[in-house]
Amino acid sequence: MRVTQSMLSNNMLLNLNNSYGKMSKLQDQITSGSKITRPSDDPVIAVKGMGYRRDLGQVEQYSRNMNEVNNWLDTSDESLSQVGEQMKRVRELVIQAANDTNSADERAKIKSEIDQIRKQLQDVANTKIGDRYIFSGTNTGKPLFVEATPPNADGTKILNADFTLYDGTAMPSASADKLNAPDGDVQIEVYNGIQLKVNTNGADLFGNVDALMGKISDLLDPARLPGPATGSEISEALGGFATDSTSDDITNIHNKILEVQADVGARQNRVELMENRLSIREVSVTKQMSNNEDVDYSKAITEMVTSESIHQAALSVGAKIIQQSLVDFIR
Amino acid sequence: MRSTFMGLETSRKGLFTQQSALYTTGHNISNANTLGFSRQRVNMQATPGFPTAGLNTPTYPGHLGTGVEAGSIQRIRDEFVDRQYRQETNKLGYWESRSTAISQMEDIMDEPSQYGLNAALEQLWKGLQDVSATPENAASRKVAIERADHLADSLNYMDTQLKTIQGNLGNEINVSTNRINSLLKQIAAINKQVQEVEPNGHVPNDLYDARDVLIDELNSYIPVSVERVPTGGLASSVAEGSVTIIFKPYDGATPIKLVNGRDAASISVNGNAQIDGNDLTNVFDNIQVTGSGTTDTGTITYNQLEPGKGKLLSLINSYGYQDGANVKGYYPETMASLDKLASEFANVFNAMHEQGFDFNGDPGIKEFFVPIDNTKPMSAGNIKVNDVLLKDSSKLAASSGANEEGNGKWALELANIQSMVQNGSAVTILGKTITTGNLEGATFNSFYQAIIGKLGVDGEEAARLNATSETLLVTIGNNRSSISSVSLDEEMTNMITFQQAYNANARMITVIDETLDKIINGMGRVGI
Repeated sequence: MRVTQSMLSNNMLLNLNNSYGKMSKLQDQITSGSKITRPSDDPVIAVKGMGYRRDLGQVEQYSRNMNEVNNWLDTSDESLSQVGEQMKRVRELVIQAANDTNSADERAKIKSEIDQIRKQLQDVANTKIGDRYIFSGTNTGKPLFVEATPPNADGTKILNADFTLYDGTAMPSASADKLNAPDGDVQIEVYNGIQLKVNTNGADLFGNVDALMGKISDLLDPARLPGPATGSEISEALGGFATDSTSDDITNIHNKILEVQADVGARQNRVELMENRLSIREVSVTKQMSNNEDVDYSKAITEMVTSESIHQAALSVGAKIIQQSLVDFIR
Repeated sequence: MRSTFMGLETSRKGLFTQQSALYTTGHNISNANTLGFSRQRVNMQATPGFPTAGLNTPTYPGHLGTGVEAGSIQRIRDEFVDRQYRQETNKLGYWESRSTAISQMEDIMDEPSQYGLNAALEQLWKGLQDVSATPENAASRKVAIERADHLADSLNYMDTQLKTIQGNLGNEINVSTNRINSLLKQIAAINKQVQEVEPNGHVPNDLYDARDVLIDELNSYIPVSVERVPTGGLASSVAEGSVTIIFKPYDGATPIKLVNGRDAASISVNGNAQIDGNDLTNVFDNIQVTGSGTTDTGTITYNQLEPGKGKLLSLINSYGYQDGANVKGYYPETMASLDKLASEFANVFNAMHEQGFDFNGDPGIKEFFVPIDNTKPMSAGNIKVNDVLLKDSSKLAASSGANEEGNGKWALELANIQSMVQNGSAVTILGKTITTGNLEGATFNSFYQAIIGKLGVDGEEAARLNATSETLLVTIGNNRSSISSVSLDEEMTNMITFQQAYNANARMITVIDETLDKIINGMGRVGI
């Protein structure tokens, strides 16, 4: 085949261009760390990459949500422990008061401590995280116990009548025997499709606690009608009211509190397992994403060095060839 | 009886012919780098011997040769390789243009990255998740609403940018059409010049070269066939005649002559309603060919353009063309997909939002996403978040029950819209019934990923075919150069050959001069 100077120089330019193209692509890969810069470089990697990014974003978000969950559960646990402690104290006081040898004065002193404990328990029922009341179900803007109008003489609060039940009907007043609690669950998503209930519905529990405290306070009241309570009447608070079998006594309340605490504890365990699972998942998704897109540095750099030396060889050989022609040798 | 000066004449002819050959070599060398130049060579032929037949022919042993003449100066060109070259140029013109158009679209969509639509959807999801974890917190509500606004902004931006590029493609169609018309006119003008020169027996090689360059360029825009028409008169046997450019419709309809002799037709896309970048609803309909003189008038519809060939077709495919009642084309179809994504997402989101309850206990407002321009339907370029929500974040319906401030379940469901299967059926979520959008069973996420996947595959194909066509073109170009381009070494060698021949002829003249001198001045003079 006849070969002319213009063919030689054109071909050399073309090959140099291709060589530059290869080096440029490798340079892009090395500086960006990624095998592709646009979907057309490799559509499958691109679409998978989009998917992995979403997965990673999800794992990040769920970890964030976990912080909220832990906050709720830890605070609930602390509060319920406090209530348990106070009930132990109440039991001691009731046992002491049930002794018929107490004078009216001594009873009065015990009553005033009972009243203080009652107020404290009402405060615990109104525990907040940030701006939210944690025991109020989904009505987190409303405290369980509010000031009575007009305020009670002994400073105690009453159950908030503002609550609406989950289905929208109003709650019965505080004097009812059993209180229907708004059983709204506050749920937070901790994994794809898995939602954890983070709150503890306190209206029922605290309502009963408060009712019991009220009864005990009544029993110890010297001004009680038809007359001061006897020791055995007071001791009914420990084991069961004879005249009122549906009201809770201290033992019942204590059991209920333990039940609720156990539930919270179980949920905390579950959260720990979920956290573990999330961190393993994060590592796994990151690894998949990296395998998918990241460039293998040692390979890319080796190829780059090879391309460079090839390029240099092309330049030097090309320069020699295109410069000479017969004209140089004819005298 | 031969003439006295016959030897001189023979050598003189030799001198002139070698001189012509030298001049041609000089012409070749000076045009070594001219685009499209084919090397020329002198066809030397021996002149008829003496004596010629006739009544008074003397008898001679044999014929005496009378010298050489330059029969013709011909360019070395292979028509077959030219034809191959032009076929490859068609394809390269198509794929190059398509690859560029798709590449520009990829730049705008910018995936995979932290900035594209995928990221905007993810941010919205995260924002709504935060709201579901802390629904009473006004800040997290505000953030979620802002992220929805950012999603709408991203869609708007993409729409605007894609439309801009589409407009540019429309303008490029115009520019291409003008260039084609200019090329047709120039070819006809050269035909005219050729027709004036050839009947005199001349062979205008440089005009042929210029014409071939124009035809090559024309082929990159639109595939045409080339036929040669001899000029007649006393044209030389190596004359190439004028060229007729014919467009052959792909569906076999009557061919249309675009250039015939000195007449050139002109084309316009869409006739009177010219495509320009400003009105994007004016998509390609047909090409009007207006003949003049002996060229044809006609219309070229989309189906008559051969697929995969020519830059003009590629631009039309990218810009958009009318196919029955639908508008097809790469840009219009991709933008229609984005519009569908935007409007279905907005509809489903709005429907869900309406069924939730906001912070104040009221049902969620019906229009979370609204069109910017009420008179047009919701689309990627026409979507934004309702101002009511931008001003008051408490109106975000995060709760599934009235008056439950701590209830964030509905926000969770709003977040999960992105992964809900959309096949037009009704689904029940937390006791409320919603009709899903119509994405033929895809989710919003997978629908968008499919758009990007298609873009990637199409881009890869275009890039690959572009590279292949380029390589093929280079090979054929090399073939052509091998046949037609000037080799300085060859010209140098020829130069020496012709120069030596010239010297030899000159020497011959000296010798004959001496013999004549002997006869004229030396014969019959004895003893002086």
